[in-house]
Amino acid sequence: MVGPTASLTPLSRADGSASYQCPSTGSNILGSVNAPIELPGRRDALKPEDATVEVFVKPGTAPGGVGERYVEGIIKNMLGKLILGREKGYARRGVVITLAIVGGESVARGDSYLTLLPALLHTSLLALLSASVPLSMTYSATVLAVDASGEITREPSVKEAAAAVSLHVFAFSSNGHLLLNESEGPFDFETWEKVHQRALAICHGTVARSSDGDVAMAEDVDGQPLEGALREAMEEKIQQDYSWKIDAA
Amino acid sequence: MASPLILLPGDEVPSEYLPSSNSAPLRLGAGLRLLSQPSAISPSHVISATQPGLLSTDNKRNAVSILSTPNRRYVPTPGDLVIAQIHHSSPDYFHCMITPQAPQALLGQLSFEGATKKTRPMLKQGDLVYARVLSTGLGAGAEVELTCVNPATGRADGGLGPLTGGMVFDVSTGLAARLIKASSSSGEQQDGVAGLVVLDELGKKLEKAGGFEIAVGRNGKVWVDCANGGDYAVKATVAIGRCLSTIDEHELSSTDQRKLVTRILRDMKIES
Amino acid sequence: MNKEAPLSIAERDFILNALREDVRLDGRQADQFRPLNVSFGEEYGHVKVQLGKTSLIVRISSEVTKPHDDRPFDGIFTIALELTAMGSPAWENGRQGDLETYVSNVLDRVIRHSNALDTESLCVLKGVSCWNVRADVHITDYDGNLIDAACIGVMAGLQHFRRPDAVVKDGQVIVYGVDERVPVALNITHKPLSVTFHTFDEGKRVIVDATRKEEQASEADVVMGLNNAGDVCYLSKFSGSPVSAMVFVNKSSVALEKVKEINGIIDKALQADLAKRAKGGLMEESRATNDR
Repeated sequence: MVGPTASLTPLSRADGSASYQCPSTGSNILGSVNAPIELPGRRDALKPEDATVEVFVKPGTAPGGVGERYVEGIIKNMLGKLILGREKGYARRGVVITLAIVGGESVARGDSYLTLLPALLHTSLLALLSASVPLSMTYSATVLAVDASGEITREPSVKEAAAAVSLHVFAFSSNGHLLLNESEGPFDFETWEKVHQRALAICHGTVARSSDGDVAMAEDVDGQPLEGALREAMEEKIQQDYSWKIDAA
Repeated sequence: MASPLILLPGDEVPSEYLPSSNSAPLRLGAGLRLLSQPSAISPSHVISATQPGLLSTDNKRNAVSILSTPNRRYVPTPGDLVIAQIHHSSPDYFHCMITPQAPQALLGQLSFEGATKKTRPMLKQGDLVYARVLSTGLGAGAEVELTCVNPATGRADGGLGPLTGGMVFDVSTGLAARLIKASSSSGEQQDGVAGLVVLDELGKKLEKAGGFEIAVGRNGKVWVDCANGGDYAVKATVAIGRCLSTIDEHELSSTDQRKLVTRILRDMKIES
Repeated sequence: MNKEAPLSIAERDFILNALREDVRLDGRQADQFRPLNVSFGEEYGHVKVQLGKTSLIVRISSEVTKPHDDRPFDGIFTIALELTAMGSPAWENGRQGDLETYVSNVLDRVIRHSNALDTESLCVLKGVSCWNVRADVHITDYDGNLIDAACIGVMAGLQHFRRPDAVVKDGQVIVYGVDERVPVALNITHKPLSVTFHTFDEGKRVIVDATRKEEQASEADVVMGLNNAGDVCYLSKFSGSPVSAMVFVNKSSVALEKVKEINGIIDKALQADLAKRAKGGLMEESRATNDR
């Protein structure tokens, strides 16, 4: 399976930016982060000792609506726990994350936004890294669809998602802990266990390598774990930026 | 020296990368934090990264920090040199802008060399000053304070004070830090300091055109003035600005930097 | 807030003094545009415009809706432009600023009101159904001259876009999928573009394609919208200090020259994309035969 394509700091005005394309859904997200900046209108008054995180999702070919606000809430809640808002220069300031869906199938009004959520989360992470916003850890995320026969599809297209019985989004921290779990549709606990295992394998590779061949095969199907792909993109960028230093050493 | 180590937030710094001297306490710089895991048997400490970047160690000062992405927004740190723009003044302070869309910093009306109530500079909105960050305060509601004198000596070391005339160019904070490093260290080096030879090269080539004055602020601003340039003043200033922004966008080797300077000076029709 | 930080006195004075010597900060001539790059994405109507450091993405989309009651023969065409914090940290998400209103208004007038897209051709069934074509403009990087860049993006997008084919059969509207029938290009009547001028030094210096700092240092702006044939469809002197009428007369020939030049760049990009698609299509076909 082809890994995602990501580029860091494609924009010049924003403090940090990233573009991310998911190969299986074709969705292409451009994200920008401005931080730490002063928020007008005293929106900082609620938490004077912490940074305020704002997320804005802009759909590609339609005006924003309820679906965007819903997914913004999920992203904001998750990032709020990872961003170290008390670090120097961040208290009482804003971290403004703007995500624009610039390519791929758009989510029709009323359709589930969960299919896009992992791509949005990855773009946010890369943009935050590009802006050097202090974070406690990194993460990777994926979405899985379960259809009527119990078959699991990784990162389904809009059409596949519509046909699925349940949708599950998982995000794991860089050390493998579950950070986010959003599910939609009816499913039983057994199914959840199964998709959880599969999601962990997609994000981190098969950690518990057992002796039977099945697990090893699963790793082949999913290719390089997402965690590694994101890390590589970031390391490559830093290598590039500091080539004057690294080459001299 | 160990091979360069690139860390992402949450990564632990391997102990073999830390400076080894045991005499002085270890100093943690930007992008790192100390985490301790309380445990009944033996509490353990790890140093973990909070920003992505290249690990940089200084054995002399027993310090370790992260060199983060060069495009990031400037966060005031005590001791940094910045170019600030006056926004408005109040009886005691000039309120200055260091970075746009960020809270204003305070510069005391008397924080200039030899300033008294009568001799203090009358700065108006839009004027520029070269200042040092004095303090960033603690806790919420803290305000950044700037000064244009060294509080210990009462002198304006290193050209601190109002900047008149000239032009300001915006560069990335990463390039600004490199420019400061390159201009503060003396000694001729073939490859330049911090991989930059552009200022040396411009200095040589523009000597005939009257040379130039330059001040670099950590907040990503570079002030350039070619006051002695005569007819070439404007063109030489523009040429310097174009060289800096090109180097900011493309990583150039020292040979390419020299070529760039020659090309832009020729393009601007400046004799060297 | 929604306002860029003001320029320092040094910057303002320097830009003006340099212009008096015919020098611009990036070494350009007074009536020279920054390097322009127009590229297309995989989908129809997906355009990326890079004009110097200003960049934006335009996405054209279409859906079948009911026409407005007062215009049963017309389809609907809207240009949606929203400034987000992505383009500039000075812009606030979800809050409309003056610049947004101004740019949207000019785009509407240059492209929509000049009937660049023939809306009558969007009618499917009188009074019942028509196409709603929507152009979304995403500003990704703002370094001046938003209006011209957005015009280029929307016009290139409209020319690149293909809508699904639709027919009326027994009073029923059938929309064919892109894989069932070759999608249809939009009916473009003419290709208007805008050229924005900024004046300095009491109107004595006039430049095109100003950067953000040049815009901030300028006294006034003049926008001209015209097509390849030289027909003027928009002319405005919106704000700032007065500008001599001769500027309009003298600069309209410059504007025409620029419009022709830019339309040439768009045409070239469209042809290159078409060639690429034709090649890709052939490859896909050959692959299909191999499968068989």
